[in-house]
Amino acid sequence: MNTIDPRIHQALDGELSPDALPPELQRAIRQVAAAADLLAAPVRGVSVELRVMAEIHRPAPTWARRVARWIVTPHALTFRFRPAWSLAFAAAVAVLTVFAARGGEPQLAEHEGIAQFVGRFPDARSVHVVGSFNDWRAGSIALEDQDHDGVWRATVVLPAGTYEYMFVVDGERWVPDHLADRLVADEFGRENSVVIVRPARR
Amino acid sequence: MDVRAAPSDAEVVARVLGGDAEAFGILIRRYEAGLLRFATRMLGSRDAAADAVAEGFVRAYRHLASCREPQRLRTWLYRIVTNRCKSHLARRSVADVPLDEAPPVADPSDTEATLERGEQLALVQRALTELSADKREAFVLKHVEGLSYEEMAAVTGERIPTLKMRVHRAREALLKALEEDA
Amino acid sequence: MRLGLAVVLLAGPLAAQSVQGRLAGRIPSEAVPTVDSLVQVARREALPTEPLVQKALEGGAKQVPGPRIVAAVQVSLSQLRDARDLLLRAGDRPRPQPGEVTTVAWALRRGLPAPVVERVVAALPQPPRAAAMHAVADLVAHRFDPDSAADLIIAAVQDGLQGERLLDVSTAALHEVQRGHTRGDAIAIVRMQLPAVPVAPRPTRSAVARARRPGPPAPP
Repeated sequence: MNTIDPRIHQALDGELSPDALPPELQRAIRQVAAAADLLAAPVRGVSVELRVMAEIHRPAPTWARRVARWIVTPHALTFRFRPAWSLAFAAAVAVLTVFAARGGEPQLAEHEGIAQFVGRFPDARSVHVVGSFNDWRAGSIALEDQDHDGVWRATVVLPAGTYEYMFVVDGERWVPDHLADRLVADEFGRENSVVIVRPARR
Repeated sequence: MDVRAAPSDAEVVARVLGGDAEAFGILIRRYEAGLLRFATRMLGSRDAAADAVAEGFVRAYRHLASCREPQRLRTWLYRIVTNRCKSHLARRSVADVPLDEAPPVADPSDTEATLERGEQLALVQRALTELSADKREAFVLKHVEGLSYEEMAAVTGERIPTLKMRVHRAREALLKALEEDA
Repeated sequence: MRLGLAVVLLAGPLAAQSVQGRLAGRIPSEAVPTVDSLVQVARREALPTEPLVQKALEGGAKQVPGPRIVAAVQVSLSQLRDARDLLLRAGDRPRPQPGEVTTVAWALRRGLPAPVVERVVAALPQPPRAAAMHAVADLVAHRFDPDSAADLIIAAVQDGLQGERLLDVSTAALHEVQRGHTRGDAIAIVRMQLPAVPVAPRPTRSAVARARRPGPPAPP
């Protein structure tokens, strides 16, 4: 049976009274109505009011944030192959990752820069970045997802240099940084992401 | 007790555009239940639905000035959330549709009727998820959200005959799925 | 008392060289002495030791068994030796700086062929060469021909660019590929732009204001 009796559609579209129809057609109408009734059950325990109001009250994202947000939106990126367009933006973010604004930012020494770590982990309870900049100690650099949109971020002051790192999700799952386009084998069967922190400039 | 009638959508929009950002909360409270239900049926996932609806509301706030008919705000909000859902679906691979409306775990306080209803909902949701996004959207807008074909045209930008065809095909597929399971 | 003082005097320099303190509690205890020995070997060969310590700490953090940690540290040591030998061949004599050994080890790990690395070393007689190496490696990682990538970066050096600006050169080439050019054309286009390739954008003030330093680790 491919199509059904068109009178079913007419009745459900309000163009025909169901009472005038044979029992088997009335049954189909009731089935559709019952399915709709089930689907119309409210979705309990969910409200978006707080997070929407929090986002509204936050200053509009800078271009950098918008770029980062666009990047972290999944575009079927895989571990090894990346479409060229993502690379350019990732490079922009990676570099953005690091050097001081105008000379004179008081909190950055000459040899220091900043690194921005971003990752999308919608179901995570915690995300940390662990690497050679913190002696591979879990727990010392936590990412935050303040607006609960699943995108976790941290901006960290680090001495200029080259570092290997991974994300640790929920304290136990080691995940490479899918936005990082520099990778090296870790000699333990996985790959580490690599970040180059550029020094502050005057 | 305040006996004034609740402000109309047009009044709230005017207040928000006048600088009263907090008033936007009235619109959220007014429409989030329906939008969440719609998005949950579209995406098959409560969490994904919350993301899509939250994104939709934020966009609505930022582009509120472009809502040309505040008296038809509901339609406008549904259009925004429909697009958010389409965007989520496009990013998600076909094989990756979550179904977190699984039948509830048995609880002594649950009646048999509640459990059976939960299973039936899961069955219907599964049948819905097997539809193409266009047909699913049309069915949910028509039969769950109760929009008229005219309102659906305003939400989706599609012609009414196209929408009718999608709704009809969705009903057929749903009935077939229910028959097969019976 | 005198014996105690002698022990302290003897223990002093040895304690300064040993990394067991850093490794204790971080890697399986049975691996600590072996890793420490490998670090001492590196020190005696005037190789950098920190990459070896980091590799061991990494293995511990990733809960890798002791023998595998030892094997990984041995691999790291041999990578450092290969890097040192390459620098010697390329003319960094009488003894390559530890920082340069680390840099070349990075370049080899990131997939640069040894002859290409040697060319870059020879073209940049004065260290540091880290930015140049990473710039070439960035291009190679995106399937640019290694020799062409090295040519571009060496040309940039000859045009007066140095340090972090060399990373801007590779970024510019990658952008050209993103715009649809072939890799060969991308290199040619950027070469014509030298030395005026776009500068990398600076982080925003709000990003810098948000930046924080790594805190103490969470309690176990």
